[in-house]
Amino acid sequence: MTTHPKTRDLAHRLLAYEAVVGKTSEPSESATFRVYEKLRQGLGEFAGVAGFQSLASRALVLAKTEAPSLSAVRVAADGSLHGLGEFEHQMDIDRDRAGESPAGQGGVILIARLLGLLLIFLGESLTLSLLRIKWPEAALNDCNSENGRSA
Amino acid sequence: MSTQEKVKINKLPTGVPGLDEIVGGGLPEFSFNIIAGAPGSGKTTLAHQFVFANASAERPALYFTVLGESAIKMLRYQQQYTFFDPAKLPDSIRFINLSQVVLEKDLGAVLEEITREVEKANPAVVVVDSFRTLVRKPQSDMDLQSFIQRLALFLASWQATTFLIGEYAEEELRDNPIFTVADGLFWLRQTAERNSIVRKLQIIKLRGQDSVPGLHTFRITDAGVQAFSRTFGLTARKRNPPGDRRLSFGVPELDEMLDGGVREGDSVLVAGSSGTGKSVLATQFIAEGINQGEPGIVAVFEERPEAYAERATSLGLDLETPQKDGKLTILYLRPLDLSVDETMQSILDAVEKIGAKRLVIDSLAGFEMALSPGFRADFRESLYRMIFALTGIGVTILSTVEVDESFTEFPFSTYSISFLTDDIIRLRYVSIDGQLRKIMVVIKMRGGNHAKDIREYEITSKGVVILGKRLTEYQGLISGVPVHSDRSDSKEEPSQGPGTGKKR
Repeated sequence: MTTHPKTRDLAHRLLAYEAVVGKTSEPSESATFRVYEKLRQGLGEFAGVAGFQSLASRALVLAKTEAPSLSAVRVAADGSLHGLGEFEHQMDIDRDRAGESPAGQGGVILIARLLGLLLIFLGESLTLSLLRIKWPEAALNDCNSENGRSA
Repeated sequence: MSTQEKVKINKLPTGVPGLDEIVGGGLPEFSFNIIAGAPGSGKTTLAHQFVFANASAERPALYFTVLGESAIKMLRYQQQYTFFDPAKLPDSIRFINLSQVVLEKDLGAVLEEITREVEKANPAVVVVDSFRTLVRKPQSDMDLQSFIQRLALFLASWQATTFLIGEYAEEELRDNPIFTVADGLFWLRQTAERNSIVRKLQIIKLRGQDSVPGLHTFRITDAGVQAFSRTFGLTARKRNPPGDRRLSFGVPELDEMLDGGVREGDSVLVAGSSGTGKSVLATQFIAEGINQGEPGIVAVFEERPEAYAERATSLGLDLETPQKDGKLTILYLRPLDLSVDETMQSILDAVEKIGAKRLVIDSLAGFEMALSPGFRADFRESLYRMIFALTGIGVTILSTVEVDESFTEFPFSTYSISFLTDDIIRLRYVSIDGQLRKIMVVIKMRGGNHAKDIREYEITSKGVVILGKRLTEYQGLISGVPVHSDRSDSKEEPSQGPGTGKKR
C-alpha cells in the first residue's frame, strides 16, 4: 500500500514551496519540519491537539513501512515531531548525492501519508481548503482525491 | 414611545426547510439559543445548516467544538449533506477545537479562548458544540450557569447569533436555570415507535416573536434537517372567503343532486365499500376539473400513478396529456415511515407547484397505512389541519374512504372524519330483485340545498352513470336490503347480466 501519485505530488509541492520560503526566513529548519508544523497548527485548530496527534501517529506508522529511514522519528503527545533532525541530516547527505527532492523520499512520504489521511477523511475539497489557510500563495489545485483506502 | 420607534429584530434564515415558518419567519438576529436533545437527534446538523445559510467572509461563523465528536469525523459526515459548501471553509466558516483548553484548564479559560477568537473574527454566528460536555469537567472555577450567562452577555454585545448544543434528556427540561438564559430553546426528540423512528422538534421558547406551538415532525435526509410545520406554511396566507362557484363532477345527474356541483373550496368525502366506484368518481372529478381549466393533484396510496392513469383511460378519461402539460400531478405516496405532516407537505408542494384547484386523496385508508405507526395517532388531527389550510386557499378536496358494508347500519366513515368534510356522498350496495346493485345519496352538503334522492348508478366504460330517477319503489334502501313498496304487485324479474341494469 503506497501513497497515491497525486498525493505525493501535492506533498512535493508543499515541500518545494517551504524549501524556497525557508531559505529566506528560517534557513535552519528543514522543509519537512516546516510543512509538518504548519499542518499541525492548521489541523490542530479544528481537530484539537489529540485529534492531530492521532492522525500524525497513524501517518508516521504508514510512512515507516515505505521509508525505514524514518524509524527514529516519533510523534509526541502534543503532536510535534521528534527525531526528525537525525533523519534530516542523513537525508541531506543522500539528497545532495542524488539531486532529489528538497525533503528527500522519507519527508515526502511522511507528508504524503498525512495528506492521504486527510483526503480519506475529509475529501479533496475540504483538505485543499484547509491547506489554503496555511499556504494561501501555493498552487494547490488539481489534486485528485483518493477517497479510498490507499493512504 | 410610538410603535414606529420600536427596535426591529431582523430574522435570519435558519437554512432548514420548514423551520423558518415554525420560528415565525426566521431566527431573531443576535439571539442566544440552545439546541437540546438526545444524541443522534440532529442537533449538530441543524446548527450546521444555520451556519452555512448565514456565514459570509465579512461576517463569518465560528464553530467551536469541545469534547465528544471528533472534528474530523464530524466534517467527514457533515460534508455529505447537500447544504455543506466546502468553498465556505475557511474564510466564512472556521472550526475551532477547544478540547485541549477544556481538558487542561477550566471554564474561565474556555470563555477566554472563545472571547479571543470572537474579538479576532467578528463573527455573525457562533456555535458551541457541545457545551454540555463542559459541565462534566470537575472542579471548575465557574459553574456552567455562570459560564453561559457571561457567554450570552458577551456574544450579544458582539452582535453574534449563537447556538449552544447540548445533550439533554427529557426530564432535564424542568427547572433548569441554564434554559432561562437562552432566548431560544429548540428541543429535538427522537423516539422509536414499533419499527419506526419518529423525530419531532419543539420550540419551547423563542423570545421576540411568535413561533408555531406544538411538536413538529422533522426528517433528516441528504439535504439535512427538514421540518414540517404543523401549519404547513400556510399561516401567513389569507383565507379565501367561501365563494358560490360550483365545480362539476362531470356527472350531470350528480351535479344536479349537489345543487349545481361541489362548492369551490369544499372538502368532499366519497364513502363506500370496495368496488362501489369511489376511485372512478374521484377520477371523473379530477378529469372534469382539467376540462374546465382547473389543474389537479391526485394523491394515490394503493396503486401506482401509471396504473391510475391507465384505469382512467379505460373510462375514456385522458390523464396522460394533462400530466405532460403540467396540469395534473399524480403523487404516489406509499413509502412507510412517513409522517402525516411530511406527506401533507408533499401534497402542498405539488398543489403550489401547478396551482392546483382540485385535490383528490385516494384513499384515506391508504394514506393512513402509508404512515409510520407512530404517526397514525395524529392522523385525524393532521388531516384536519391540512384540509383547513388547503380549503382556506380555495382548493377543493375530494377524499375517498372505504367503509365496511353493513346490512344493518349505514356508517358514513370508519374514520369518524365526517366533521372534517363539508359534503358527504355515500355509495353502497343494495340487494334488489336478486341483484347486487349500487345506490348513491348525498348525505350532507354544508351551505347547500342538496337533493335527498337515493339514486341508482352503474359503473360503465364511461365511468359512473346515474340511472333514471330516484328509487321510489323500495323501502329501506339504505339498509342494503330494501323491500318493494308494493310487494303484492311485484313480480320477480328474470336475472340480468352484469352491467345491463334495469330498463327505465
